[in-house]
Amino acid sequence: MGCFRKIFIANRGEIACRAIRPARELKIPVVVGYSDCDALSLHVRLADEAVRLGPSPASMSYLDIDAILRAAKDSGCDAIFPGYGFLAENPDFAEAVKKEKMTFIGPSARVMRIMGDKIAARKALSASGVPVTPALEDVDDPKEVIRFGNRVGWPILIKASAGGGGKGMQKVSSPAEVEECLASARSVAEKAFGKGTIFAEKYIEHGRHIEFQFLADRFRNVIHLGERECSIQRRHQKLVEEAPSSLLTPEVREKMGAVVVKAMRDIGYVTAGTMEFLVDRDGKFYALEVNTRIQVEHTVTEFISGFDIIRKMYKLAAGERLTMRQKDVLLRGHSIQCRVNAEDPKNNFTPSFGKITFLRQVSGPFVRSELGIYQGWEVPPYYDSLLAKICSVGKDRETAIQRMRRALGEFDLWGVRTTIPLLKRIMDHPDFVAGRIHTGFIEENIAKLTDYAESEEEIYKVARFVAEISALGRNRYSE
Amino acid sequence: MMGGGGMAGSVKKKEYRKILKTVRESKAIWLVGTGPRDTGQSDFKNRFTIHDLERLLPVYDASGYLAIDSHGGARLHQDMMNNMIDPFEEARLFALRMPHVLTQTLVRGTNLWGYRMYSRNTVRAAVESFLPTIDVWRCFDFLNYVPNMAPVAEEVLRAGKIFSPAISFTESAECTDAYYLRVLKEIVSLCGGTKDIILVIKDMAGVGSPARIRRLVDAFLQKHPHLLILYHRHTTDGLALPAMAAAAEAGARLFDVTDDAFSRFYGHPPVRPLVRYLRELGHEVRFDMKRADEASETIRGFIRNYERFESQFKGFSSDVTGHRMPGGAFPSSFEQAEKGGFLDLMPHILKGMSYGNRIIKYFDVTPGSQITWTTWAGVLQRFHKEGGEPNIKRLFGVLDRFFEAGERFDELSQADQNMLLRLYAGATDDLKNLLLGKYGPLPFGWPADWVYRSVFGEGWAEKIKAERIPSLPLSRLADEDLEKAKAAMEAEVGRSVTQEEFVLYLMHPKAAVDFLRFRERYGDTTVLPTKVWFDGLRRPGDQVRLTIDGKPHVVCLVSVGEGMGGVKDVVLSVDNIMHVFHVDLPETAAARKKVRKAAPGNKGEVGATVNGTVWRIGTKGRVLKEGDLVRKGEEIMNIEVMKTENAVKSSVAGVIREICVTVNDRVEEGQLLAVVEPGIE
Repeated sequence: MGCFRKIFIANRGEIACRAIRPARELKIPVVVGYSDCDALSLHVRLADEAVRLGPSPASMSYLDIDAILRAAKDSGCDAIFPGYGFLAENPDFAEAVKKEKMTFIGPSARVMRIMGDKIAARKALSASGVPVTPALEDVDDPKEVIRFGNRVGWPILIKASAGGGGKGMQKVSSPAEVEECLASARSVAEKAFGKGTIFAEKYIEHGRHIEFQFLADRFRNVIHLGERECSIQRRHQKLVEEAPSSLLTPEVREKMGAVVVKAMRDIGYVTAGTMEFLVDRDGKFYALEVNTRIQVEHTVTEFISGFDIIRKMYKLAAGERLTMRQKDVLLRGHSIQCRVNAEDPKNNFTPSFGKITFLRQVSGPFVRSELGIYQGWEVPPYYDSLLAKICSVGKDRETAIQRMRRALGEFDLWGVRTTIPLLKRIMDHPDFVAGRIHTGFIEENIAKLTDYAESEEEIYKVARFVAEISALGRNRYSE
Repeated sequence: MMGGGGMAGSVKKKEYRKILKTVRESKAIWLVGTGPRDTGQSDFKNRFTIHDLERLLPVYDASGYLAIDSHGGARLHQDMMNNMIDPFEEARLFALRMPHVLTQTLVRGTNLWGYRMYSRNTVRAAVESFLPTIDVWRCFDFLNYVPNMAPVAEEVLRAGKIFSPAISFTESAECTDAYYLRVLKEIVSLCGGTKDIILVIKDMAGVGSPARIRRLVDAFLQKHPHLLILYHRHTTDGLALPAMAAAAEAGARLFDVTDDAFSRFYGHPPVRPLVRYLRELGHEVRFDMKRADEASETIRGFIRNYERFESQFKGFSSDVTGHRMPGGAFPSSFEQAEKGGFLDLMPHILKGMSYGNRIIKYFDVTPGSQITWTTWAGVLQRFHKEGGEPNIKRLFGVLDRFFEAGERFDELSQADQNMLLRLYAGATDDLKNLLLGKYGPLPFGWPADWVYRSVFGEGWAEKIKAERIPSLPLSRLADEDLEKAKAAMEAEVGRSVTQEEFVLYLMHPKAAVDFLRFRERYGDTTVLPTKVWFDGLRRPGDQVRLTIDGKPHVVCLVSVGEGMGGVKDVVLSVDNIMHVFHVDLPETAAARKKVRKAAPGNKGEVGATVNGTVWRIGTKGRVLKEGDLVRKGEEIMNIEVMKTENAVKSSVAGVIREICVTVNDRVEEGQLLAVVEPGIE
């Protein structure tokens, strides 16, 4: 069948690199956009063509709809893949792409609009029979929030109605904190999403974050590829993901999957997406939201299902029919993904940037690494801090953890602080190993998880000294 | 039986009493090698690297030495300050590589390896931590005040190691045999006899005439026939060899020596000439000359690395019998004089000292030698500044008249008296403490009243009455709060510290903290060959091979930049991978430091939590300015990094005294953002 003539990737970093690869497999040329500070970034090196979008701040490049559309059109693309973040869940963008006679590789603007608005999404999901958390759907009055909290029980969670990724999301433990948190959440929402509406919902304590990956074609065929568990989070951003979840029995999996498939068929979803759930201690599940894009952690599903989800998205967006039935989806083994972010776990996960002076990549059997970086490249301060993803797979969770430990031990990166030492600690933590995890895991164990020594390789320290003596021509310590 | 193998086979380490018995019964002469420590200290400013010393250790181990002087004195301080060596790691290495030879440290009474008097619990903690690696504990006091040796003696003897009390020796009218016998009597009583000790006659300046030394050794052995006596002698005046021979004739059984290739002017006599001479005189000497050849050959291969640290003042000097400056202090005083730009005053300073040690009487060895040096360097600089050479000549004239008048101050003219009263006008606190008995009573009594008048001014008499301690200053020293000191160190270092690190901090707080910071940044630099340690890599293509944890590494210089903007870019290939290192030139480093940092211990100082841009001061609802009240936990500023907001909160309630940044400033982690004066709830 005919797929696309040329695809424009409106993203950067590891996901842009990842998205180039299946296009290459399908012999579809790829064009990427880049901002000034990304001129030498890896996605630009890997693509067939590259077009400058604008200055480094995202608002003037990767978020500039006009610049992206112009770049895609001028380079002769007939489809745009948005990745995650940036414009990936912006229905206006999807609409504008369509208007320019190109294909937006993702669901329709209509579906995105519904799913992008927490309140509308909850309505739509409820209507299809999906359970949702008790929530307050529009907040303008702190008193109202306090009344809601008192009704459903503290703590509660407040967040921007638009956007995802946990930005501006805050846990509110008592009525006294409501006012300050509300103001700050608003500010973040305005800054990040240009929209200040706030949403409050019950916080499920010790809840587990479980999400279902699904694929859908234009012919109302929907299948799911099972769940991922994403409970290891810091500041509501996922750090470790795995598939399947050790929590779900086959029966529950089937039940949740059926709910997902029905709801997505009802709404007319096309390509790939994810429905997120929070599962409480009693095994009750509540839908949180539907992510209308590729997820960072799609890799673990790929490892156990054998699907290339982005390749599938290209084909589904091009109009291909899903031939596989749900019963044909076979999930095998266990997969784990760790996110290597440029941030300092010891210092409240504050971002770290600078030049990557050394990089040793992961290789070997049953591991996969997705990188947007290379040695000598400088991590710019403008964007998300995700540098790389490392994934492992094995016949069971234990094997996957063993392989992940091995991979993390080999992976080495100097020049910026990363989450690697924290990830190593998590892989060794008895609760993680036993599968006793929940969304508060990192927060509860932070002291132990970050009690590692910053380990720069000794030779590098000594070399720094040699450099200093060589530059000065004398040893200032021994004069 | 001659030489070879040291204590190997016959006596194992740890059976220390047995070792001393063997030495005592052998009737032979035994040697202690001072190469690593005292030689380095006396002639090479203690700069020997582990890299070089390490090559000597197996040779020393097989040479037949009883012990190697490898630790303590000033080296502990300089290891941390200049050599970037962990003194514990060094001690362990020496103990490991010399299993057949005893390791020896030098401690300054209750000052241990530092410059102040330590309380009993501190002494215990410090001694305990080095006991596993140090066998012989040589201990002296610059006042020969034996109670000051007691805490160390007790710890060492209790642990069953060898205590080696040293009597500070000099030649003067007061320093009679009777005086030294009095000191020895106290020492023997402190150590419960002579069985577990090696007594040292510490001739640190190198001033004893052969006849004087022979007499003293003889006097000691008349009293205690089984006493093991070691004669420690610097070569300064050139008479060391005959003096040692005289001591041996009188029955001294141990000598401090150095390798021939290490011999200079302020250290110790060369080992091979001494051994040959003693053997010619008919003494049996436990020593393997072949090993000594080997050691000297090795030394000649590296000693030129240290030429730059040798004294400006070369050659033997009989003047030492007047000024009595000890070996270690002599070259370093010349160095200080050169750095301070008063090298031309050195002859006057040395002459001044020879008057000084007749006015205030103690022994010129640490800390006494430092007191003498700072006092007289100060006096001469002051008198020179006030009236040049003629003024100095006048001063020496007055001092000559004073001694001619039998040290009777009152018999001098009014003008002479006035000049003498100005002599100690710039007295340091150390000199004041000395005169107030804070180090212990002076060995030959307190100086005359006019000295106190000169040092303390008009209130001198009351000062003596109120503050001078007649004896046992140590008993007034309360135990230190070690928990608190450790907490202070940990606050400074920003992490928990080991007991060893803490001991280093107790000795030298600043040097220890700086050293730990250095290690954190540069790792263990003792893996570097000496040339690279001192000079780095010189030309592109130069490379250095290193071994770290058994793995080989190669660092190769690719290029050194021009030094634009105060930074030199150095490109190194480290294990085949290119790295660019940005090296701040000294000016830049100084300028960088000017970014004010929030003091971690001061809760009122609000520091940046991240590197980023301050985009808001206060909160959306409340712009903050200086003078505003803030609650504890209230957000004071917000820093944006990668689109995330990072609230900076006040950890105290109070008034904002200072806001140090403005909106849109880029700030670095730890930078001082605001100062809150705590107090108001």
